[in-house]
Amino acid sequence: MKILEITDMVMRFGGLTAVNKLNLSIDQGEILGLIGPNGAGKSTVFNCVAGVYAPTGGRVQFNGQTINNEKPWNLCKKGLARTFQLVKPFATKSVLYNVVVGAFATTDNTKEAEQKAIEILKALKFEDKKEVKASSLTIADRKRLEIARALATEPKLLLFDEVMAGLRPAEVDGMVEIIKRLRKTGITIFLIEHIMRAIMALSDRIVVIHFGKKIAEGTPQQVASNDNVIKAYLGDDYGVS
Amino acid sequence: MTGKENLRVKKTNLKAQKKGLDSHTGSHIKAGSGPFVTRGNIKTMSLALAVLVAFGLPLVITSPTYLHIIVLMFFYAYLTTSWNMVGGFAGVLPLGHSVFIGIGAYTSTILSLQYGVSPWIGMMIGGILSVFVGVLIGLPTFKMRGAYFALATIAFAEGFRVMVENIDFIGPLNVNGPRGLQIPPQNYGFANFMFAGKEPYYYIILIMLIGVLALTWFISRSKLGYYLNAGGEEPEAAMALGVNVAKTKLAAMAISSFFTALAGTFYAQFSLFIHPKSIISLDISFEIAFIALIGGRGSIAGPVLGALLLRPVSDFSRIYFGDILPGLHLVIYGVILILVMIFQPRGIQESLTRMYDSVVDRVVTWSQKDGEA
Amino acid sequence: MIYLLEDAINGILMGSIYGLTALGLTIVFGVLKVINFAHGSLLMVGMYLALWSVSLIGIHPYLALIIVVPVMYFFGYYLQDIVIKPIFKAEKDVREPITVIIVTTGVWYVLDNLTLLIFGPQYRSIQANPLKGKMIELGEIFISVPKLWGFCTAIITAFGVYYFFQYTRMGRAIRATSLDRDAASLAGINQYKIYNIAFGIGTAVAGIAAVTLVPFYNIFPTVGVLFDIKGFIIVVLGGLGSMGGAIIGGIIVGLIESIGPQFMTATWTEAIVYGLFLLVLFVKPSGLFGEKHDW
Repeated sequence: MKILEITDMVMRFGGLTAVNKLNLSIDQGEILGLIGPNGAGKSTVFNCVAGVYAPTGGRVQFNGQTINNEKPWNLCKKGLARTFQLVKPFATKSVLYNVVVGAFATTDNTKEAEQKAIEILKALKFEDKKEVKASSLTIADRKRLEIARALATEPKLLLFDEVMAGLRPAEVDGMVEIIKRLRKTGITIFLIEHIMRAIMALSDRIVVIHFGKKIAEGTPQQVASNDNVIKAYLGDDYGVS
Repeated sequence: MTGKENLRVKKTNLKAQKKGLDSHTGSHIKAGSGPFVTRGNIKTMSLALAVLVAFGLPLVITSPTYLHIIVLMFFYAYLTTSWNMVGGFAGVLPLGHSVFIGIGAYTSTILSLQYGVSPWIGMMIGGILSVFVGVLIGLPTFKMRGAYFALATIAFAEGFRVMVENIDFIGPLNVNGPRGLQIPPQNYGFANFMFAGKEPYYYIILIMLIGVLALTWFISRSKLGYYLNAGGEEPEAAMALGVNVAKTKLAAMAISSFFTALAGTFYAQFSLFIHPKSIISLDISFEIAFIALIGGRGSIAGPVLGALLLRPVSDFSRIYFGDILPGLHLVIYGVILILVMIFQPRGIQESLTRMYDSVVDRVVTWSQKDGEA
Repeated sequence: MIYLLEDAINGILMGSIYGLTALGLTIVFGVLKVINFAHGSLLMVGMYLALWSVSLIGIHPYLALIIVVPVMYFFGYYLQDIVIKPIFKAEKDVREPITVIIVTTGVWYVLDNLTLLIFGPQYRSIQANPLKGKMIELGEIFISVPKLWGFCTAIITAFGVYYFFQYTRMGRAIRATSLDRDAASLAGINQYKIYNIAFGIGTAVAGIAAVTLVPFYNIFPTVGVLFDIKGFIIVVLGGLGSMGGAIIGGIIVGLIESIGPQFMTATWTEAIVYGLFLLVLFVKPSGLFGEKHDW
């Protein structure tokens, strides 16, 4: 069974159709990349899957269950976690506090939640900063915190929304390593990215959308040489035909 | 202010004692080998000391006027701490909390005057009623922006006051409109929540205050506390992490309204007279909010500190200037509020806690030095 | 029936004055996105100003506008500049500047009680009042003259303010800032200066409202509280940020207040106004004419 199945999804905002009959599916344990030019509708897809919006049409299924109208907190309890493109740490609280909030998704006990949080921080090599106030972290660390928090909820499917944005190349490599390690633990990953070398290195498959519609799908190599993709990114003049 | 002075004096004595103690057994205590004097220990001991002092105060201060003032001080500290659960932890600005005081006071008073129900039971019933009302108010308003929420709470409180002021009877219940209800001082005894002297009231409100502080402390360390903080700071992120923000805010509101209502009953039994303008007034709602904000909402110590510092100010200005300069204390409140919001929006507890922490640190280093000697 | 008509007319007149009192509030909200809880107190200050102008100089109450409007404008301007701006700056990135609300509440308390301290709690009114108690007779209907003047002032002010925001350079700059402060500042507009000006205008409008009230309303330190709360209700009813909405919302409240007592006690009427307010908040928070916000 596919862990995530999107069938004919449509999302309209008033007169604007942001997502137009999108079909895509993800296998358990896969890393699926979602790319497309700015404004293509990628974040909207995420928001529809994550329960921020209810799709105007079509169906979203998570582990076989239709989740069109589910709220984000319920989805989290079901095993679907996400990060935000513009990071939203609980700025006045410590790194540990932030992750503990996530850990509470699977337990009611504070001690237990703290222990789980520390485990996650250790796994992400972040434990040394556990008492640092989130507002004083660098952008790379804030992104790591986003991931740590989401991980603490013990998700089966993780949605990464441009988690590399704003990072320097060395930091990008570090993040790629983290995500590779995550995959080894069995988590399925769905990621939106603009940084090509990251998404090429990570994804098993890539879906390309433009104006809310899927225009290509396949392995990174297939997608990179796809005419439509090149046209979408660089304009019609550059299509190799 | 006598209580606070006592506290400071006792703390210095304690420091001196600790030094003595350590140099006594100094040879056995080396820095780092499981020291007796840790920051945690000092903080617990000073807390225990404060509680001891509070319990012992009526033995030292016997003047009913001063006791009355201190009782009201604790009363407000209780109210602000209860308010803090919604206003501080949930991150919203309720400006109509007196509605719960009113519900609590009127419920227990009517039940005891008309039906002879013990005020303690009436207190609990008032609390439960308040929970219903609180949740009712919270359900639609928590989705709104801060300013709208504040306005809605004002509208509820004022609407309730107007209604009570104009109704004489709700069915068989005698509410007596603007004339209010008077409780005859008879049938003394614990069961009737009626005492001749101020001391019993003092201890009751003190215990209530400690109870509500302990509750706040527990909640802040619990899942609810974490969730409330998260939902208040970044609701979208919190929701993505499994927090049903609206539900946690409602939980906080329920707790807050329950405990606020209990204070209403206390007030009724203490002052023996309640009427809408005195307990369901906007002034009280605002005073509670102001004190909590100045003290530092969202922290545990903030509201209490605010009440302990501000209430004496207001009482003294009322006693000494009440006739010549009416309303002076409110001007002072307002000015302090504005200044605090500009310079220290987290409340005065921020700098007070920092001072306290540095004092504690100094005590620890002193004792460690003694140990090595 | 005839009394109903009379009540209705007087209700509309009084309502337009209510709308005028709320107009300043909605202007401030529209631009600063903040509900100024001290608005009623500013109104009260305006009333005392008008009172003293008339008593000391002995002019016709409406001539006091010459003094009241500029003084109120600068009062509001500097209040915003000195007291509220620091908080704005500190809370620039916060989603909801709740602290500003708190501060304006503090200002409310300071102003009201300072006035109480200085002037005492007595009710005052202007002595030589050319408009006092005058009525116009239309058949069997009596229309209050001061309220009629107030109505006209309200309409003129509303149109004046509208014109200002639509057609003058400063007005457009203010609107630009209210729509998108970052974009406006990129266009060379100093957003904090705009806030000062908008607050000044809102306060000046409150001053105009104060002048219309002085001929027939008693003046005392806490007179602003009632108008403050009614102002919020009106502004929510009509839609925060909508000037026409403020006037119309005011008229609705005025009508309820004048016709209501025919059918129930005056204080139940008050409760109905609160009830209506809560209803609007829950059902359509953007009010009748307000812009949609992300609630």
